[in-house]
Order: sequence, then structure tokens, then C-alpha cells
Amino acid sequence: MALSLTVNGEQRSLEVEGDTPLLWVIRDELGLKGTKFGCGAGLCGACTVHLDGQPVRSCSTPVELAAGGEVTTIEGLGDRERLHALQEAWIEHGVPQCGYCQSGQIMSAAHLLATNASPSREDIVAAMTGNLCRCGTYSRIVAAVESVANAMPSEPKEGA
Amino acid sequence: MSMNRRDFLKVSAGTSGSLMLSLSLPGCSGVQTGFQPDTGEWKPDAWLELTRDDEIFFTLARVEMGQGTYTGLTTLIAEELEVAPEAITPKFAPAAPEYRNPLYKLQLTGGSTSVATSWEPLRVAGASARQMLVMAAARVWRVEAADCSVHDGHVVHPNGIDSMRFGELVELASNEVIRGDVRLKPRSEWKYIGMRGGRLDAEAKSTGTAEYGIDIELPGMLYAVVTRAPRFGGRARSFNAEEVRVMPGVVDVIEIERGVAVVADKYWRARKAQAKLSVEWDFSEALALSTTEVFETYRKAADEDPGESERSEGDFDEAVKSAPTVLEAEYAQPYLAHATLEPMNATAWYREDSLEIWAPTQAPDLGQIAAARATDLSPDDVTINTTFLGGGFGRRLTQDFIEEAAAVSYRTGKPVKVIWSREEDTRHDLYRPAMLHRMRASLSGGELTGWHHQVVGPQILDWYVRNAAPAQYPWAPKFMYDSLGSMGLMLEGVATPKDMSAIEGAVDYPYAVSNIEIRHTHTDPGVPITWWRSVGFSHNGFAVETFMDELAHEAGEDPYQFRRRLLASEPRHLEVLDRAARLADWDQPVPKGRGRGIALFRSFGTFVAQVVEAGIEDGAIRVHRVSAAVDCGQVVNPRIVEDQIEGGILFGLTAALYGEITLQDGEVQQSNFHDYRLMRHFERPDVTVDIVDSEAAPTGVGEPGVPPVIPALGNALFALTGERQRSLPLKARG
Repeated sequence: MALSLTVNGEQRSLEVEGDTPLLWVIRDELGLKGTKFGCGAGLCGACTVHLDGQPVRSCSTPVELAAGGEVTTIEGLGDRERLHALQEAWIEHGVPQCGYCQSGQIMSAAHLLATNASPSREDIVAAMTGNLCRCGTYSRIVAAVESVANAMPSEPKEGA
Repeated sequence: MSMNRRDFLKVSAGTSGSLMLSLSLPGCSGVQTGFQPDTGEWKPDAWLELTRDDEIFFTLARVEMGQGTYTGLTTLIAEELEVAPEAITPKFAPAAPEYRNPLYKLQLTGGSTSVATSWEPLRVAGASARQMLVMAAARVWRVEAADCSVHDGHVVHPNGIDSMRFGELVELASNEVIRGDVRLKPRSEWKYIGMRGGRLDAEAKSTGTAEYGIDIELPGMLYAVVTRAPRFGGRARSFNAEEVRVMPGVVDVIEIERGVAVVADKYWRARKAQAKLSVEWDFSEALALSTTEVFETYRKAADEDPGESERSEGDFDEAVKSAPTVLEAEYAQPYLAHATLEPMNATAWYREDSLEIWAPTQAPDLGQIAAARATDLSPDDVTINTTFLGGGFGRRLTQDFIEEAAAVSYRTGKPVKVIWSREEDTRHDLYRPAMLHRMRASLSGGELTGWHHQVVGPQILDWYVRNAAPAQYPWAPKFMYDSLGSMGLMLEGVATPKDMSAIEGAVDYPYAVSNIEIRHTHTDPGVPITWWRSVGFSHNGFAVETFMDELAHEAGEDPYQFRRRLLASEPRHLEVLDRAARLADWDQPVPKGRGRGIALFRSFGTFVAQVVEAGIEDGAIRVHRVSAAVDCGQVVNPRIVEDQIEGGILFGLTAALYGEITLQDGEVQQSNFHDYRLMRHFERPDVTVDIVDSEAAPTGVGEPGVPPVIPALGNALFALTGERQRSLPLKARG
């Protein structure tokens, strides 16, 4: 089927079978290899991207369900000049080991911070728990997310 | 420390492996060194490449799978070359004799050996290049080389003002010959070794730009998926090729050695077509057993055969006779999958008389052999391009994924990428072997007087020698491969290293006991096995350190003090044990509802002690806190050491809490992360790692974090519940 997607701000028209998982469209049709295949069943989170601002598991999202939508991948997270603050924090904290899960981890964390500028430790763990890391980088991930959350200007509280 | 040029040449020859013989034979030509006028590159040795434009490339012969070689080994070169590690661009090594691991005589990344085996050769390589650059500059300036200094990619004139860039000097430096000693920097002058430097691969891995095997893209590339026999050893008898071939995008359906490959223009089309594939299997030579039978087989073997004696001191039988208390226990540990987050994959491109492979492999030269087997080529015709690895843990030492990709490209004549599904990756892994341990010990007046450990199970060399033996003798014709394989087995301990995979961590029992007997009953049920992060130490650690805990309780002594007393003459063991106990507040009461357990294990030369604090909450084991102390000799990067120890702890806890591959009638029962669970964010304990400051030769850190945490958790649960669990994974009981 013919469909179009906005990927990292760019309109893309595709001719692809509608049941193809968004993951393989992103990777093989659009050539954005930063989004990873881990389990094919939404269990590990390595394939996490944002679809219309929501984090989704692209390995189990048929592309026809994403048609007309706005997709953000790890490649589109920062702007042209600068990395996203989370990416900077990931580098600063030396989070990645093998690194394979990290695109998905960062995309989950980015959605958390977009919806909750000052998450508690529990909020972070809850938001990240769908993303598996086989190398065991969880503590560095939490530290990196907290460093960005603490550095972000928080909304003025009522009465403040 | 100093090393003269002759020694350096010997080191180089040493790293090029077993074979002076192979070096003089065609097809084994090494890496070209020297100055290339057309490109302006100078390669002083197999590792370094400096250009006129001041670029510095470092050929990384130990793959990066998360353990940090990309940063750590580059740091060794950078230190001696007097440039920041960030100024060096690492490149993954092709398969070549120069890049073999001197311990294995093969180009392997494994056994936590990368830093230990690179520590001297890489620093010498960096220092030699630096010295040649200095000599060249001194010749230009007509000054003494000894009066020049090196700073940040420049050689500095004795006047302290003038300087020349490395790039200006590379051509001249290539003509210099070092006579006498190459001086390595003393510890006091180190700028990078031992510092908390950043990971050089962090940016690529945080921006999605790091290239893994699965990311390789070639013009006109096809995708293949392989349906393998559901039981190990099964073969395809027939299949509905015609029905599958008409599916959209399908290019071919072909039988290969390892199953039936569906080849299509797109990955998803290959998967959809695979769903229509129906294979009739010939199971006449296939495995039919179930996991319960594996352990029955082990028990029978253990009863009938006391096994090879691997260590014998004093007289254990006598010790038992005279002891008032004799304790016996049997520990059973399951098969475990590797579950690398990047599933197995490889890309191959066969073109007439050559084959190029792109793959996340831990052993490129074994990959050459695997690819040669699947084609009409010899290993020398096979080029292996290694990528970043999305986890390794020993899984990618076996080259089945390369063999498949090579076979499909050979048959189709097209570039092909083979990708395994998670289910295929779980069910067609080669596993950490299931093992049985029988322990006996004698106690007399609270003193441990005898220790008997019978290890029951297979050893890994039997499964690995098939490709390893030919890789060590690359000049051997292919028809000899199988006989080389069996010869390798026959000569084990003579021509090849003794296979320690079943008994490592058992034979090096460190406690001062007068009567010790360690035996191995070798029995192999036929389930494919390979190395798994910490290998034999992973199961011997649980057996030894759980039994030590049982003995301490039997003797009525604190498990920390009980161990402590028996390690009086083992200062490095003692130091990490004391540190871990201190870090864990061992002398303070345990928080209510929690138990505390301790364990200590040396593996791969590195000493690690851990204390686990755990409870049982809502019907599940909850690990709250792990305190670890580690002595790995000289530390190259403490941040990476912490990461590796913590990563090893989570890896070990995953095994202790959830890890179990079971077989039913020859079929693996688990498939994906819902039934082969990995530890998640919310289950993560607080981990603290204390590193001993040491000047001893560096040892590995990729694996040693794993073994102690499994018994330490079991011991904590015993402290909490009073019930001893002797099989894994642990259950929330009591």
C-alpha cells in the first residue's frame, strides 16, 4: 500500500505492505539504523520510537497504523546543531556498554521528561522498566536521566 | 619497565600465534607495515597508523561488545604515544595472524583477557612509535633525542619553544631504527591509565550511529531467515519450496546445512514467507531427551564414575574417617542462554573466488573457517569485517551465523543478510551447560578438615574444536578439517591447552584445608554448549561458595569469619573479602525482613567478594543491595571496571533469579523475554563497587563480577528463611 509518514520532521512517501512493522520500514526503507530489533514482541524496548508524541514499540506496530503520523527516532531527537540533553548526559555518564538497547532507552527517557520535567526516582524506574539492558547499565541510566531532570528549568509552582 | 627492540619483535611474533611455520607459508601474509608515500600513512606496526594529516588510527584486535576494549586498549596506546585517547580513531581488525590472542593462538575476544594480554604489547607499540618520532625530530634539529620531549601529538625541541607535529614527522620516523631499550612511562607519569576517562564509543552509541552487524547494508542485498530443526541434530527431509517461492518478494527457498533458508527482497517478506514454510524433518539422529533426563544421566554417571582426579592433596578418605561430622550436598544448575540483545546475524557477499563477511563476531578467524566450510573457498579467500557487537557473552565465539550467511550468499550469488528472530536466538543458542556438583566435607571441632568436589558434566572444547583446530592450521586443506578437529581433542593438554571449562573455579579452591580432592566426571548429553560469561566459574562459584556457607553454619560460625580464617595466607582474597564485608556493614544488624549473604570468588585472575542483601516481597525475591570489592591488578579505567562488575552482578542475578533453559523431548521450551526473563530496571539493586588500588599486572573484569553474586544471593536467602536451595534458579520460598 502507499502511505506517508512524517519522520524526524520530513514527509516520506512509501510503497510498502501495510502489515510490515514500523521498525523495518524505519530501518530498511528509510535507512535509519539507530532503531534496533531486539525481540519482535514488544518485550525489550530496543525498537522504541515516538509516534505522535507517544513512545511505541516499532517492532510490533504495523506501519499502516502509523500512516499519516509523526515519527521521531533517535536520529531526530536532537536538532541539527545540538544533541538532545539526554544524549549529552548519556555520553557524560558513560552509560552505554554494548550500546544496542540505548536508542530505545533514550527514547523512553525523552518521553518521560517531555511529560514530567521533574520525575522522582520511582517515576524514572517506572517509565524505563519496559526497556531491557543485558549489560546492566540501569544505574548509569537513572543517574543520567536524573542529571537532566535536575538541570531542566522547572515550571514555576503555584504561589511561588 | 623497559623492553628492548628484540623483545618487542618476539612479542610480535608471539602474538602472531602458534606458528612460525604458518608465517612462512603463502596465504598467511601479515599486515603491511612501513611508510606509504602515495597515501602519506605510516604503519610502524600492525596496530598503529599515523598520517601526514595528523590522524592516528589504532587497529583494535579485541572486539567491542560492551566490555570496553574500544576505550581501554586505545588508552594504553594513547598513554605511550602522548596523545589523548580521543585523538585516536580505533578501527576493528580484520582476521590476520598478527591479531591473534596469544593465550589461545586464535583471534578470540573472550576469557577476560583483552587488557591482560595487550598491557605490554600495546604500550610497547605506542612507546616505539613515539621514540621513532622523537628520533626523527632530533635528526632534523640536530639535537639529542633524549633532550626532546613529546606533548599532545607534537615533538618538542629542547629549547621548549619549537615543535613539530607527528604528521610532519611520519615519513622521517619510518626510517628510524630503535637500538636498545624502548622506555615505557613510569606509573608516576601516567596521564590516562588509571583515570576515569569517558568511553570513546559513548557518543556513537547515544546517537544511533554506532554500526552493529545487523545494520550492514549492501547494494542489491537480500534478506534470509532460516528455519532450523526444532530438535538438535534434526535434518530437513522435504519441504514445500514451491508454495513458499510464490510468496511476494521471495527469491529462493534453499536447503543449507543448518536448515531451510527463505530468501527475499525484504526482511518482513522473508518472515511472512517463512510462516508458510512446512518442513518434514528427519529426526533419526536428533536429540530426544528432556532436561530431567539430563540430570538423571549426570547422577548415574556420577555414581558409576568418580571421574578424573584434577587435584588431590592429603587424604580425603582418611579425613572423613576421623571426622565427627561429614556434610554432603548436591547442587544442580540449568542450561542458560546468552540472550545478547542484538540477535545473531551476519551479512555475506560471495563473488566468484572471494567472500566478504560483515558480522558481529568474537572470533573472526573462526568465522573464516565457518565460511570456508559453507562454500568452495579456502579461509584465505574470506574477508571478515567486524562491527560493534550488541552483546557477546561468549555466544559469538561460535560462528554458526556466519556459516549460514556464507551458505546462502554462495547459493544465490547475491549479498545476503541473515537475521535470527529472538525465538530462534533462544532456541538455537549453544548454552551454558547444565551441571551437577557433588560436594562432601569433613568438620572436626569446627575445623574444616576435608573437601571433596565432584564436577559432573560436559566440557566445551569438544564443541569448539571443530572450527578452532583448522583455524590454527590455516594451510591445512579442507578435507583435513575433521581430522584436525579430532586430533585437537586427542592432543588436549599436549598441543592445545587443557580444557578447564568444567573445572575452573573448582580446582583452584583457595581455602586452607589439608585434604582436598577435586574430580571431574565427564559426561555430555549432546545439547550444544559454549562459553557463557564466566564459563566454568559460573557454576563452580555457586557450588563452592554455597557449600562453604553450609559448612560455616554447620560449624556454628559466622560465614564471613569462617572464610576469613581459612584465607590467612591468601592476602588478595582476604583483602577483597574484608572490604566487601565493611562496605556491606556486615557487623551491623540486617534490616528487618532481609537476609545477608557473602561469597568470594577468583576468576580470570581477578578477585571479587560480594555481599548481597535480599528479601522476599509479594511472593518474589527482591535483591536490595550488593556490595562488591574487586582486585584486578592495575586498573586502566576505573569507571569501566565499575561498569563491568556491576554488569556482571546483574547478569549473575538474572541467572540466579530467572535463568533456565529446559528441553522437552529434545525441544527447547523457552523462546523470548517473557519466558526467558532478564532483570529489569525496577528489580535493580543498589550496587557499590570498591576497587583495590594495585600495581600488580592487570587482569580481566568482563566476567569476574558474575560468579560470586549467585551464591551470595542464595546464602542471603538461607540467612533469611533457614531453607537451603541447592538448585538454580532460586525460588521465593520460606
